[in-house]
Amino acid sequence: MVNKIVQILYGIFIKPFLSIVIGVRYENKQVLKAKEQYIIVANHNSHLDALSIISALPGSKLANTFTVAAVDYFGRNSLFRKVVRFFFNAIFIKRNRQVGDPSAIEQLDAYLKNGKSLILFPEGSRGKPGVLSDFKKGIAVLLKRNPNIHFIPAHLNGFGRVMPKDSNLVLPMLSKVRFGNPIKVGAQKMEDILSIVKDSILKLKPIGEKNLNKF
Amino acid sequence: MKILNHFIPTEILHTLGFVFGLIMLCLSVFYFINKKRSTKFTRELFLRTRSWAFLAAGIATVVVSPKIIGTLIIAYVSFAAFREMASISGFRTADRNALFAAYCSIPIQYLLIYHNMSALYFAFIPVIMFTVLPFFLIAKGDTKGIGKSMALIPAILMMCVFMISHLAMLFGIEESTLPAGPGGLILFLVALTALNDVFQYIWGKLLGRKKIIPAISPNKTRAGFIGGVLSTGAIAAALNFLTPLSLQEAVLTGFAIGIAGFAGDILISAIKRDLNLKDTDDVIPGHGGIMDRMDSLVLTAPVFYYLLTYFLSVEVEIIQKAEFAMAEVLTQVHYKYNLVW
Repeated sequence: MVNKIVQILYGIFIKPFLSIVIGVRYENKQVLKAKEQYIIVANHNSHLDALSIISALPGSKLANTFTVAAVDYFGRNSLFRKVVRFFFNAIFIKRNRQVGDPSAIEQLDAYLKNGKSLILFPEGSRGKPGVLSDFKKGIAVLLKRNPNIHFIPAHLNGFGRVMPKDSNLVLPMLSKVRFGNPIKVGAQKMEDILSIVKDSILKLKPIGEKNLNKF
Repeated sequence: MKILNHFIPTEILHTLGFVFGLIMLCLSVFYFINKKRSTKFTRELFLRTRSWAFLAAGIATVVVSPKIIGTLIIAYVSFAAFREMASISGFRTADRNALFAAYCSIPIQYLLIYHNMSALYFAFIPVIMFTVLPFFLIAKGDTKGIGKSMALIPAILMMCVFMISHLAMLFGIEESTLPAGPGGLILFLVALTALNDVFQYIWGKLLGRKKIIPAISPNKTRAGFIGGVLSTGAIAAALNFLTPLSLQEAVLTGFAIGIAGFAGDILISAIKRDLNLKDTDDVIPGHGGIMDRMDSLVLTAPVFYYLLTYFLSVEVEIIQKAEFAMAEVLTQVHYKYNLVW
């Protein structure tokens, strides 16, 4: 029931808002239909990043795809937490783990073992505007532990201008979301997996195109 | 023809039928040429014509629609054009508030036009927004590069919203004076603008030798320009049944649209040159962005609107003078023969 409501809200409000008002355009969206389970890995500049990736998903996969969110930011108060969980299907993880807390990797791994898909921003935070910061190791660990799961690289160009880090004003600006083909990484070294993931995201941006994530 | 109480003049239907027939004919010819021997040029030509079919469908929707739908569509096109220019122009983070204010002015402008508040819609962007916008920039306190933003945001607003909104203003002209309604005027203007582009291109390819401004647009030649303007005048005479103008006035309007179309084209070309872009966007296959296609319309719309209002007011003046003279003659006759009504 809740899933149906979310699906309808995305269908009649969020998707049209993103494409008609903001001017988001997708490339290679059909790869999301091909695989049953995947981890979408994308660069992170704006709160709209997750929203636009979820909007690209086929409606039937909405309920099965979870977005990884930091509890110290998105779990600030219970209302905000509920809203984020409702719209993003969020899994809350702790960025600064103390002794005794459940490991974020274990948490996400359990979801993957249950056949769920993930949306992950390995940069960890939105960082400096327009700069791709270093990836956290977590994505490599997850891919290594689940060698059968594909990851889909996604490159988002433009959302840093639509809604940058320290602003709540949403400004319509043309933006692109590009998906790459699903990739499987075998048993390789952690650093290699990380660089494969990073390169596959960077490769999606055409060479001549400007970095639209900063002004 | 009548749909839901909205009357569509026969002239418009015939013209639209002719236009679509022509496009479909070209499209099928180019399709087969492209299928037989595909080169970059033929594929481009096919894509371009196919996009023209979609654009023509959009224009046809505006032309046959009642005022509210037509105004809404033109407003959205304005918005999309503004968004495109704002996306490529290279603004600063400090400009976001001013850009947001500029976005907000778009619905207001079209609301004023929809409600026929002519004094306000002529003043809103050139006077009010031009005054207000710089203060959004000043309030941010970032003065580095503020001069460029102060000039650029109003300029883009002027091109993409104020100029384009003259199309919607045509809906406000008194319908009893128009043979094919306001839709006829829009069709006349858009058809002439589009055909002017096409004919400038064709004449330039056929006869063009001497370039006008190679630094901005290497494809613009003197022969193309003159041929285009003359052809547009001829087409204006042929399409005159859509307007209330006399034949001479229509031809004059055609020439003016030809010149304004050329000017609008090089205006946007110059901006693209500065930004090192070939096209403003890639949303229309074979054409580029919205402003690549609307570049001529930015100037032809106001030129057509003001010429038309001038000719119409002259006509009204002549009629008023004639009525006045007639009344005078009648009173003299009455006086002479002592007639009593």
